Amino acid sequence: MNEADAPAIRADVVHRVVASVIAESRAGGGRPVREVINETLFHEKRRLARRSEGGDEERAYYREIRHKLPQTSAIDAESIVSDIVTRYADEISGHFNPSIYRFATGVINPGLTGLLNGLSPKRLFRRRGSLQPWDEMLVRQGEVDKLLKLRERGTILLVPTHSSNLDSILLGAAIERMGLPPFTYGAGLNLFENRIVGYFMHNLGAYTVDRLKTDPLYRRVLKEYSTVVIEYGRHSLFFPGGTRSRSGCVETHLKKGLLGTALDAYRNCAAAGHDRRVFVVPVTINYPLVLEAATLIDDHLQISGRARHIIVDDEFSRLERWAQYARGLFALDMHIYLRFGAAMDPFGNPVDEHGDSLDPQGRVIDPSGYLRRGGEIVEDEQRDREYTRLLAAAIANAFQKNTVACATNVVAYALFSVLRNESSESDLYRFLRSVTPELPTPVDTVLEELRALLEELAYRESEGRIHLGEIVRTKDAELILEHALKRFGAYHTDAAARRDGSFIAVENANLLFYYRNRLDGLGLRGQRSEVPGRISR
Amino acid sequence: MSICLLGSGNWGTTLAHLMACNGHDVKLWCRSRSVRDEINKKHTNRRYTEGFPIHKGVQASNDLRACVDSSDTIIHVIPSKAFREVSRTIAHMLRPDHVIIHATKGLEQGTQKRMSEILCEETCVRQIGVLSGPNIAREILADKPAGTVIATRFPRVAAEAQRLFAGPRFRVYDNSDVVGVEMGGALKNIIAIAGGVIAALELGENARSLLITRGLGEMTRIGMSFGAEAPTFMGLAGMGDLMVTCASPHSRNHRLGRAMAAGTGLEEALASLGMVAEGVNTSRVAHEIATERRVYAPVVEAVYQMVHEDRAPSDVARELMLMEARPDIDL
Repeated sequence: MNEADAPAIRADVVHRVVASVIAESRAGGGRPVREVINETLFHEKRRLARRSEGGDEERAYYREIRHKLPQTSAIDAESIVSDIVTRYADEISGHFNPSIYRFATGVINPGLTGLLNGLSPKRLFRRRGSLQPWDEMLVRQGEVDKLLKLRERGTILLVPTHSSNLDSILLGAAIERMGLPPFTYGAGLNLFENRIVGYFMHNLGAYTVDRLKTDPLYRRVLKEYSTVVIEYGRHSLFFPGGTRSRSGCVETHLKKGLLGTALDAYRNCAAAGHDRRVFVVPVTINYPLVLEAATLIDDHLQISGRARHIIVDDEFSRLERWAQYARGLFALDMHIYLRFGAAMDPFGNPVDEHGDSLDPQGRVIDPSGYLRRGGEIVEDEQRDREYTRLLAAAIANAFQKNTVACATNVVAYALFSVLRNESSESDLYRFLRSVTPELPTPVDTVLEELRALLEELAYRESEGRIHLGEIVRTKDAELILEHALKRFGAYHTDAAARRDGSFIAVENANLLFYYRNRLDGLGLRGQRSEVPGRISR
Repeated sequence: MSICLLGSGNWGTTLAHLMACNGHDVKLWCRSRSVRDEINKKHTNRRYTEGFPIHKGVQASNDLRACVDSSDTIIHVIPSKAFREVSRTIAHMLRPDHVIIHATKGLEQGTQKRMSEILCEETCVRQIGVLSGPNIAREILADKPAGTVIATRFPRVAAEAQRLFAGPRFRVYDNSDVVGVEMGGALKNIIAIAGGVIAALELGENARSLLITRGLGEMTRIGMSFGAEAPTFMGLAGMGDLMVTCASPHSRNHRLGRAMAAGTGLEEALASLGMVAEGVNTSRVAHEIATERRVYAPVVEAVYQMVHEDRAPSDVARELMLMEARPDIDL
């Protein structure tokens, strides 16, 4: 990684995108440049019309283009496209400040600790002089050592599961603790606008992704940016699920667009004769409690109206919810598990610690062969899309295998199964509405189901198909149940479930559903997926 | 470069012959030395393709390594029972730039895996295609017109299948729904066994049409539970293959159903065929799938009971007629 690369990266991005737009327009039957500009004008006008304040400069900019476009020559149109692409590239990389980037390594942990300690003075007092609380809370597992070795052999692309806006901050902290340089990644513009987290984003080597920009040209610049960054050897990170998992499920449907940049970068390097390896490393981030759980699950169930692609007014932007969350985490010594999966090449093959790709029999293979015909590297968009689809499947599979089941997930799953099996209501929505605290379930019934579930989970863990949090692995059902109920009660306004004498009462069925969904689709206890659109196997 | 074909059975030999007719140099790998010698010297394969000469461009060999090394494209036509074992054996000979096209219609017992999944699990090859369709080997050897489907998501594989197989008497259509084409090819063999029963019991053309149509619905539902696309089952690898295999007296699964309906036991019926009837295996796997995934599939269940639980074909057929009728279109 070289900080001085930033201007060169931006220039490369602009050059490539403009060159490809022009080449397409000049090819027989290609798309005229003017059409590309008109498309930008259409999408940007629509976006700006929806904006209530600001944007005057942009409006004026596009107005001028619209005004002069009819009189421009083909050459002038090309220069307009170049100008638009440059603006997009500037905006994307605008938040990327090399001096802050260097400074970042020192600032994340103290910053985060300070913030949380500020919210929890008791904790600060008690722990003064001892380890930083994040270190105790954040458990790093999996193939961490291999990751450290691979950083020397090529470019690493971290692809984590996405449950909370805390994810990127926690990853930033973990990356720093592991002695790795900051990773480059695209963060939604809304995160920069969030007053709490914007501070961290600027310091994490983040570039900007404006998800409200629907212009295909913008998407193209964004993809190229991600590609070039990897080609320059900058370790990168993005969430392949796109947005935070609304249902609480571990993602199975991954966005192929950005993911494909791993292969694009690898192919570009190979075609230029460089053997620059790209390693894709799936990571699961497993929370016993999720800060934004209530908002996310309501959005999944579309309770608050139409489902929203971008949520800005959730728990993440409210200080008092942070405070409550942090207090809950510290008071109960909860662990957040960051589990690093096995690294793979852009084709989904495992790689060894030297960075060599392995076939299923463990033999070293040359991955550039996937791109060759008759010995030459050949471009083929459809082929590469298919490779990326296979990579996405391999990542989704790794997500499942590296899921760490927390006590809250396991208890929610068992309780949900009991209630679902007892209910005659087949429709999920009506079922969720029918679950109320007035109809509690005997503790013994829940325990019986929980024991059976734990047995199945232990077996699956022994086969390497899932992982269990420490409590779930080492304690018995009674303790796990108590442990989870305490945590449910520690943060959420309405607990997913609470004890009521010798019964368990569900206060918020949606939250119960959310926490059980982490284990959805695995066929545990013969239960079918409750989340639409998931295909098993 | 020559083309390597694995498997010297009825369909493997036919595909090798077809490619040789199109001017390709084909290396056919087989285990048996006598089959190798017969193909190379007499240009026949009496056990599997009796009465038809094999094109001289087909060279048989027992040397697997030499066959694979001399080819960029492998045609894999090993029965489902040995498919994984052979795939594992060739794995260390394969390169990422290899293309594999398989033409095996079946599902793996125990794992319920499709053949292309096995290839992905055992080898480094990703550019994989599936050849499947209404293709009675004897008719193709007799140079009668036919069509088939190449299912793949890789353009290079589709083009390769066209180059190797397409000709004036053989059409190759492409489809990107690999799951649907593989499931169609595997599941129709079960319905074909039932088709043989209907023919032997002389239940008539109406009954056969009833079986084919309802059977197609079952195939579609089971396939969709794995992510297959419903329209694929209306194509050559679904409806097309099902029709021919339920009607043709040459179809092995159809012949097996006929023999069993006439009172012959499974082992004896299989022995009289002298080759693999994939529907026997597949009915067990499909029965498991339908039970686990709660897919409505009464014909699959009936064939499973007849083949694996020794129930009388006439009883099973009667029960099917007495079941509660569900909607006509029921996907």
